[in-house]
Amino acid sequence: MFDPKTKVLVVDDMLTMRKIVTKILRELGFIDIAEAQDGNEAWEKAKSGHHGLIISDWNMPNCTGLELLKKIRADKDLAKTPFLLVTAEAEQQQVAEAIKSGVDQYVVKPFSKEGLKTKLESTHKKVAARISV
Amino acid sequence: MSGNDNFFTIDKFDNYSLVKINKKPLSSELDSFESHLELTSGNHIIIDCDSLNDIERDCIRILLKIHLATKKENKILKLINVNTVLLNCLKKDGFDSTLRFAKNLQDALQEIGITPKRSISTDFIDSFLQSTIQVLKIQAEIDVVPGVFEVAKTKDQGICDISGFIGIICNNFNGSVIISFPEKTFLNVLSRMLGEDITSIEPDNMDGAAELTNMIFGQAKASLNEKGFGLKMALPSVVLGKPDSFLSLHTGPAILVPFKSKHGDFFVRIGLTV
Repeated sequence: MFDPKTKVLVVDDMLTMRKIVTKILRELGFIDIAEAQDGNEAWEKAKSGHHGLIISDWNMPNCTGLELLKKIRADKDLAKTPFLLVTAEAEQQQVAEAIKSGVDQYVVKPFSKEGLKTKLESTHKKVAARISV
Repeated sequence: MSGNDNFFTIDKFDNYSLVKINKKPLSSELDSFESHLELTSGNHIIIDCDSLNDIERDCIRILLKIHLATKKENKILKLINVNTVLLNCLKKDGFDSTLRFAKNLQDALQEIGITPKRSISTDFIDSFLQSTIQVLKIQAEIDVVPGVFEVAKTKDQGICDISGFIGIICNNFNGSVIISFPEKTFLNVLSRMLGEDITSIEPDNMDGAAELTNMIFGQAKASLNEKGFGLKMALPSVVLGKPDSFLSLHTGPAILVPFKSKHGDFFVRIGLTV
């Protein structure tokens, strides 16, 4: 599992969903959590924030989670940042597009604390395997 | 294609022919009318009677003859835009029970099966019911039970203190889904979602209604698109109360589903855009 000291960036245009994700992360022991309300704000924060994990909503105005993911993966300094997409619409075509764009894991809304924890563990394993290669 | 003096025109499309009768024909024009119609009888035929208040018996006989010919080919002939005067004229001779009618071109195309029917199917409603049950169960740990759904009688029936709404664009129709909560229910649901006591609706918590709508829509969208509904992605919004600007967007026919739970009741309203 991720070190609880990992700096996490939570991105969602809905304050309620940011609060839900942040609450679960705190319950899982994370203490350093930043928030952004769309992909553009997240991009600015990611460039200067040295985040060890980004959890982003997919469907947002201005800059979607997928667009943010593509920008992160295209940036030489941020490309390896673990990235988890949150979506309310898990259709095969969407999932395939996210995987193609380099997402580490995705979680479908609604989700429970256990559901998010499982996805974080899976993300961590995937990232650890990527680093060891 | 058109007859003499433009008494009728025929437009041929891939699946049907549209015949417009522009005025009451003269007896001498009917042979030409019949021969033109015979050429189209291998396809569905829609006769637009918008400009017609009276019709000759001989003309009706031609329509009946073509009607039978299209039937033999498993095709359909329909009369559209038939006004009351003309309908009474057809009724007088008993032709109304033989010929087939539709209100307008759109209805005729739907009834024939050329365009999809513009209606909310039970499949569609059921997906939203199941999705609502699942979202409330997982995200707020609340068991909700849907009541019997009904057609909304007024444009604001089921609209309560706070509503999340999302536009629907799919293959069959455009419309909207509204999840509407009385204040007390919303505060109870939100308190359980956030794990803290929420005592009033504030600018920083009202997007909870939109987020719930988003999740319900997303779940339903995934299952409906597997069945070929072709729902497009959409962003949810939230509205407080019943502002006219909001209600005027949702005046089309709507299905209203009441939900009950021990944390309060709420409504799901699925409507068509007119």
